[in-house]
Amino acid sequence: MNSQSIHFRLIVWYAGVLLLVLIGFGAFTYATLRFFSNQVLREAMERRAQQIAALIASDAAAQDPDYVPREVVKRYDPAANDRFVRITDTHGNLYFLSGPPIDHSFAPEEVRVLRDVPEGTASYLVTTPDKCRLLIATRRVHVREESFLIEVGGNLAANDRVLHRLLLTLLGGLPVILGVVIAGGYGLTKRALQPVQTMMRAAQEITLHHLSRRLPTPQGDDEIAHLAQVLNQMIARLDESFQNTARFTADASHELRTPLTIMRGELEAMLLGQSLPTGMRDAIASLLEEVERLVRIVERLFALSRMDAGEAQAERVRFDLAKLAENTADQMCLLAEVKHIDLVCETSSCVEIEGDRTRLKQLIVNLLDNAIKYTPEQGRVSMAVRAENSTALLEVSDTGPGVSDTALPHLFERFYRADEVRSREVGGAGLGLSIVQSICTAHGGSVSAANTPPAGCRFTVELPLASRN
Amino acid sequence: MRILLVEDEEKVARFISIGLKAERFAVDTAGDGKTGLQMAVLNPYDLLIVDLMLPGLSGTELIRRVRRQKTDVPIVVLTARDALSDKVTNFESGADDYLTKPFAFAELLVRIKALLRRGAVSRANVIQIADLEIDRLAHQVRRNGATIKLTAKEYSLLEYLASNAGRVLSRTMIVEHVWDQSFEGLTNIVDVYVRQLRAKIDEPFPKKLIHTVRSVGYVINEDGAE
Repeated sequence: MNSQSIHFRLIVWYAGVLLLVLIGFGAFTYATLRFFSNQVLREAMERRAQQIAALIASDAAAQDPDYVPREVVKRYDPAANDRFVRITDTHGNLYFLSGPPIDHSFAPEEVRVLRDVPEGTASYLVTTPDKCRLLIATRRVHVREESFLIEVGGNLAANDRVLHRLLLTLLGGLPVILGVVIAGGYGLTKRALQPVQTMMRAAQEITLHHLSRRLPTPQGDDEIAHLAQVLNQMIARLDESFQNTARFTADASHELRTPLTIMRGELEAMLLGQSLPTGMRDAIASLLEEVERLVRIVERLFALSRMDAGEAQAERVRFDLAKLAENTADQMCLLAEVKHIDLVCETSSCVEIEGDRTRLKQLIVNLLDNAIKYTPEQGRVSMAVRAENSTALLEVSDTGPGVSDTALPHLFERFYRADEVRSREVGGAGLGLSIVQSICTAHGGSVSAANTPPAGCRFTVELPLASRN
Repeated sequence: MRILLVEDEEKVARFISIGLKAERFAVDTAGDGKTGLQMAVLNPYDLLIVDLMLPGLSGTELIRRVRRQKTDVPIVVLTARDALSDKVTNFESGADDYLTKPFAFAELLVRIKALLRRGAVSRANVIQIADLEIDRLAHQVRRNGATIKLTAKEYSLLEYLASNAGRVLSRTMIVEHVWDQSFEGLTNIVDVYVRQLRAKIDEPFPKKLIHTVRSVGYVINEDGAE
């Protein structure tokens, strides 16, 4: 999945936030449970300590020294309940100590004696040598000039076990919940973004060929439907402007061609006809030449504007650019031979692209023609076609004088002449390379030029390769 | 030879008819589509020249209706538009040739002559011009009994010239036939190939067969005249 896509980012955010919330909630639950379960235990221990204090203070205890131990065992049975009870007098004499608990989690006689215990009720956390954590509530009681310290303890192990289980459940549940959320989120965002994908594909189709088509507008009154409507309005305006351009081109073409036809026809008729004075004959011939130049410029201008209006890809077929280049070079090799120029064509096998064969052939013809024109005799023109990643590369290099650095960026502009004198000499109208660029653009590609020191320059055309399916 | 010219642009009609008359054709002109259709149907013309943008009845429609009645009269279309789709539509509706304005008059003339003598295009398997022999099945060329080796392009060029022997072919026509649309405007390629072809089939021999027709194109024949 593309890490830049909305799809991906939505899910990452979504899962991240949920993870934080889950961790926070888990920690809170854990802490609260720990706090309350310890509090419940502490309260129970304190109550028991008070009850034992009441036993000690009772009359029965005064009459029978065994009354308290007996009653404690009878009523609370600390050993059986895994509790700890110890009663000592102020001199440190042990008055009562509960027996070992059934689960043997701690040895009562090894529990550390608490010192400096305040009056009233207090509670402590004591760890026995057996690593058992006891929550001990203490109470001092003063009876008949005697003072007793009552310690009642409960094992925290049970609470800890519950907390441990909770922690395991939380940790185990977290990935499961996250997994469900990511899967659900993936499905949901995919569903939500489905119309966007559909629109994107439709828009791609439309921009390439059919401006008369419109995007499918999804049902409803949501953002996607609005987006589709807005895009459709934009395409409609584009369509209109393209149609206007095309209509203007057709009209202007007609308006310019008719007078040119007449001028050409009349001048030709004059030349063919009666015997004219030499001076006039030359003037008419020169006029005719200029008319013919105008005609060429008009032709090329219209060719360009038709391409701008999207006609450069009238046809769209799949073919091998390498083969086309070879054939074209073959057909033009004599033009090179006349100037004793070495025309070389290096192609790798099968560089498949999709587009208008005729236009792309025209592109190659223009580039080769240009290269041959500017290469001096005994020079060399080479063309190479190969595929690189998803791009078809066509390079035409020559051993001509190259292009000055100031001219290089303007080479593809309409009517631009790199060198006034030389261009006039070879008869270019300054539009051949513009046509090359228009054809490239119409095919979703580009063309660039660079000098290749020590001599010559290289034109590089990049076109998208045809998709594999 | 009688030609009907249907063209609404008066000045264009005038110079074409003057030029054609100078070539000893009889030319009638019509200024709109309806008149043109009536004249074409009523009179036996050898060839029609039809402009596409006509008032009343479009050129395409006119051609379609003429074709319903006279199936074989050659028709040359003139147009100020050059969209490819127009070209296809007009060939489909029955035009035989297509010229985009502004055209050279010589080009029009060459095409008219080619169409008028269309029946004479050689379909023979072996074309013989003086001592030049072209075997179209074996793609072999012999002159004076000796085989001459030609490249594929040179052969196509020679075959096109020879099958129209005695008829002047314009550079544009040659590019259209031997190369293709992509070479439009690159007519100097024709001169280069003709020079090459001459070096092989004409230069070694005293009698020259390929002749240049000034400002128009080339012709192949025995005597050099049209």
